[in-house]
Amino acid sequence: MANGQFPEALIQQLSQKFRDHHFGDVMVVGGGVSGIQASLDLASSGFKVYLVDKAPSIGGHMAQLDKTFPTNECSM
Amino acid sequence: MEGEAGDFQITLIKKPKYIDEDQCTGCTACVEYCPVKYPDPFNQEISQNKAIHIYFAQAIPLVTYIDDSCLYLKEKKCGICEGICKNHAIDFNQRAEKIEVKVGAVILAPGLEPYDPGLRHDYGYGQFANVVTSLDYERLMCATGPYQGEILRASDRKHPHKIAWIQCVGSRQVIPGGNSYCSGVCCTYAQKQVILTKEHDAEAECTIFHNDIRSYNKDFERFYQRTESLPGVRFIRSYVSIGREIPASKNVTIRYSTPDDGVKEEEFGLVVLSVGLNPPADYTALADKFGIELNAHGFCQTNPVDPMEATRPGIFVSGAFRGPTDIPESVFSASAAGSECGELLNYRRGKLTQARIYPPEKDVAQEEPRIGVFVCHCGANIGRIVDVPATVEYALSLPHVAYAQEQLFSCATNSAKEISDMTREKGLNRVVIAACSPRTLEPLFRDTLREAGINQYYLDMANIREHNSWVHSKEREESTRKAQDLIRMSVARARHLEPLQEFDLPVNKAGLVVGGGLAGMTAALSLANQGHEVYLVEKESDLGGMARRLHSTLEGLDVQQYLIDVVGKIYRHPLVHVYTEAAILETGGYVGNFATKVKSRGRVMEIKHGATLLATGAEEYRPTEYLYGEDERVVTNLELEEQIAGRDERLVGARSLVMIQCVGCRNAERNYCSRVCCSHSIKNALNLKALNPQMDIYILFRDMRTYGYYEDYYREAAGKEVRFIRYEPTDPPEVEPAVGEEGLGVLRVTVTDPILGKRLEIDADVVALAAAVIPSAGSQEAARLFKVNSNPDGFFKEAHVKLRPVDFVADGIYLCGMAHYPKFITETLSQAYAAAGRALTLLSHDTVVASGSVCEVNERKCIGCGACISACSYGAIEFRETRQGKKAVVNPVICKGDGLCNAKCPTGAISLKHHTDEEILSQIDAAVQP
Amino acid sequence: MSGVSRLQYTTESRLIRVMCSGRVDLAFVFRAFLKGTDGVFIGGCRLNECNYDTHGNYHALNMVLLAKRIMEHIGLSPERLRVEFMSSGDGIRFAEVMSEFGRKVKELGPLGQGEGLDEGILKSKLAEITRLIPYIKMAKKEKLGSRLSNPERYADLFTRDEIDRLLREVTSYYIDPAKCQACMLCARRCPAEAIISVKNQIHVIDQEKCIKCGTCFEVCPDRFGAVKEISGVTVPPPIPEGERTVVRKK
Repeated sequence: MANGQFPEALIQQLSQKFRDHHFGDVMVVGGGVSGIQASLDLASSGFKVYLVDKAPSIGGHMAQLDKTFPTNECSM
Repeated sequence: MEGEAGDFQITLIKKPKYIDEDQCTGCTACVEYCPVKYPDPFNQEISQNKAIHIYFAQAIPLVTYIDDSCLYLKEKKCGICEGICKNHAIDFNQRAEKIEVKVGAVILAPGLEPYDPGLRHDYGYGQFANVVTSLDYERLMCATGPYQGEILRASDRKHPHKIAWIQCVGSRQVIPGGNSYCSGVCCTYAQKQVILTKEHDAEAECTIFHNDIRSYNKDFERFYQRTESLPGVRFIRSYVSIGREIPASKNVTIRYSTPDDGVKEEEFGLVVLSVGLNPPADYTALADKFGIELNAHGFCQTNPVDPMEATRPGIFVSGAFRGPTDIPESVFSASAAGSECGELLNYRRGKLTQARIYPPEKDVAQEEPRIGVFVCHCGANIGRIVDVPATVEYALSLPHVAYAQEQLFSCATNSAKEISDMTREKGLNRVVIAACSPRTLEPLFRDTLREAGINQYYLDMANIREHNSWVHSKEREESTRKAQDLIRMSVARARHLEPLQEFDLPVNKAGLVVGGGLAGMTAALSLANQGHEVYLVEKESDLGGMARRLHSTLEGLDVQQYLIDVVGKIYRHPLVHVYTEAAILETGGYVGNFATKVKSRGRVMEIKHGATLLATGAEEYRPTEYLYGEDERVVTNLELEEQIAGRDERLVGARSLVMIQCVGCRNAERNYCSRVCCSHSIKNALNLKALNPQMDIYILFRDMRTYGYYEDYYREAAGKEVRFIRYEPTDPPEVEPAVGEEGLGVLRVTVTDPILGKRLEIDADVVALAAAVIPSAGSQEAARLFKVNSNPDGFFKEAHVKLRPVDFVADGIYLCGMAHYPKFITETLSQAYAAAGRALTLLSHDTVVASGSVCEVNERKCIGCGACISACSYGAIEFRETRQGKKAVVNPVICKGDGLCNAKCPTGAISLKHHTDEEILSQIDAAVQP
Repeated sequence: MSGVSRLQYTTESRLIRVMCSGRVDLAFVFRAFLKGTDGVFIGGCRLNECNYDTHGNYHALNMVLLAKRIMEHIGLSPERLRVEFMSSGDGIRFAEVMSEFGRKVKELGPLGQGEGLDEGILKSKLAEITRLIPYIKMAKKEKLGSRLSNPERYADLFTRDEIDRLLREVTSYYIDPAKCQACMLCARRCPAEAIISVKNQIHVIDQEKCIKCGTCFEVCPDRFGAVKEISGVTVPPPIPEGERTVVRKK
């Protein structure tokens, strides 16, 4: 008996189960400029965030824009 | 999704990329060899991309993915990429993965879908080659777009010379397939496209066909004027229809009409459809999955006084899914949703986050420099051009280089470990990594140095990819020589690098909120609900600000009742301390540690706080126009609202009422649009019609700016026979007392109707002026005290219009509400939650980390000339009296490390750490072959 | 973006990273020329799109306009120095500018040779300018901090005459041995440690080290008035070491 009470195998089994389950505080659905900002703010204020997006990259429609008004800055 | 607020269980399907993301380095060798081309969705399918590719040049994660068009996926043929990839990152065996995630709350930010004009076939989109949408046009203009930033027509790949924009495509249209609301962004984005088009081709002729120009946001009026003043730019107010395609030229004709010339048909080389914003593509499925309700337009149903809340508890919404939204509002609604999540989940904050533990840092400052050089092949990206082994040999010949080696991919996990292992083993105290741009990977390699137990600032990166192999890919010898030069420069600099400490500053957990209107109170409550002490300072004796003069909103909110609720919550909250009749005497300190002296009802106290929120509101302009103040029948919009709420008999019994828009703004003195007045007038008109359906109401306007859902109320008002008459600013209405038909005294309003082309006389019993919203005196005072900036119109200037819309440039100070710009209650509330959310990113920490790369003054060399102080607009440098005269001293917490002051200093007394004169001069010296 | 987009340009460039174009010191430019670099390019953010709050790119512009005039003064072609403002998205423009600048510099020929200057003389002129940089920065402090909104006014910010005069009539400081009371005040305050001071010995300014900031002139007590501001004439030689003992005023 390792660890006094629980067999090593059981501990491993339990921790495996935890690994299979993802625990977080907030899920943000959509990785456009709004989703990114929400994720950054939450992560910076002590929450674990899952950011999910349907595209292969975050960025959303804003990434497609050439420049943004009224300053005409690059939208990247 | 199952469960409830605080405990949701969500099942996700992760689509396979067929790429091992940990192994892929984004080198794109596979893309080069992939034989399959298909229309690139990122470039609006205008150009082609390969079946394996990176989504776009700056994608995050910067790895490739394989599209369904892949031959191997379709027919088990090809597989070339598998052989090409040196890192074995291609994995055709990947399958869709089911992932279960447990979270306490959800933020929905699925964004928008541009309106598809192909569905209705009425603009020739999809039929005529030279009709594109505004999003297509964005890609055409973009340097990473289908033609590398050349604006070319699909029909002949030539530059169009005459371009037309058609506004309101899919917006403000009550037809099947159209949207009744105004999308709010198209007028201004079309102006932007015109300006950029003129930058591409100064000779281009640009025409915008519109119904109203709705440039209602901060600094938009000037933007509109800038567009209008460009040569060859026409704004034409007209409904239009697409005519035909000219067979030979493939030009497209547009039919329109003007009051002067009647109906015309004109030919254009390219037509851009300014498409509106639709809900995200899969909105009904999304709503079903998350169990939330949608509004009539298919956007998320939200609560006007809690604008980030969806109908199901624990689910919040941000960005364009709340309705047509521009970028700043998308960003601040995100911060706002973050703050609301924080209120819900405050009990579990910080429980799931982990801190990294590093080995203790070795003090090597006294040692002779022992530099290690790691040269990256980046697969073939560098290795195919630069002779890496020879470069490693060369590096070993440089002074102080104790070790050098090559690596296939320096950024791969095993390579980073190799760097930290070799650093320890060889006793290295400086590391040069010759690879790619420090922009992406410097943080990673700094971490590698920390793992190796030496200070993270002992790193320098020589960029031999973006600055070399990628841009000199045909010149192998030259490129190898340049790589060696760049390494020599890095080594020279590395010798002089110093260990720097990033220091932790304690954070006072309290917040100070200046201004007790709806913005200030909402922000204060959100902070307090997340466990923070809040000091709320209001100059008046009562809380409420501008909202005290409002009674209803178009959405039907009883403002006074709502205000009573909020004020009650404020006074009941144990963490909120209210100071009324208060004035701020002085304030000082810096992020996390401010101290402010407040005088309230005769008492003076000092408040210590970590964050400051400025919500100092706005005021209504007191008109000098249209007999205001001379004739009591002339009132402002707010006065009219009060009279409506009080059921003023003379008002309700009026037979005729005229509203005049844009009083005191959109003029030379106040060159901005007050944003709320058009909808405010509509609201008053609808309320009056409800009280007295017989009343004749006229609204004299310049552009009706009822953006977003407010458009529906504009339509409702028109349906109830409120009459809208446009006037030109050069020919404004006139108001004079007169005797009306029945011998009664009236106000005679004279205005030129541009459609009828003649002067109209309207006898009114009441004239209401849509008086401008102007910055409050309190804002000007706060700007001075807190050393924050205002824009030319006197509204607070945010750190970045789009990316930091509620932050000031100075850390730890935030803004919200009308002090930022005129806005509606719902918008004010979002922004207030946002300011609280941003403040939480600071207040939720015990300490803030200040960068090590900041300036420092050598007092011996300082002559007190002040050149540095006048250059530093952050106010990070001050004079200090010493026995040797006044000397500059830097507050490292405020310093941002740009180093401008260094170049200003005549004596070299001020020095930006990590970018010192010595470090840069050593690079300059080493640039030339010895 | 040039890199990511694989846009090809001249191999003759060597890039040095600074966090803001305003960090580029006038001294950096002349150090590069002194070391034999044939051309210097400074790239900054687009004007009015400052990544910081300081609009350092305007300062970089002013510095370049000044440096060009100084280059003219010593006979170097001002076209060897170029400043451009672009965003990270302007990859195409960057590549074009680099190649164009590379061609221009090649056309001008090797530094000095292209202008027909003797190498030794050029070196000594560049060294002299480097020594005068603190003085130049102080004299032109206001203009170096200005913000030029109209490109048509770039050429007038510093005129050729103005810079020629500035460099012709360089101010020097000299301690009058008859008046110096060896109070050591000036030496303690000199930022360049250019004043040779020994107790009871007349102080002497090491003209090689002096950066002409005038601090000594300002701090020398009025009752002594020993530090002199000299312009347009040669500085008298320092008093020999053996004759420096102070004769106290009665």
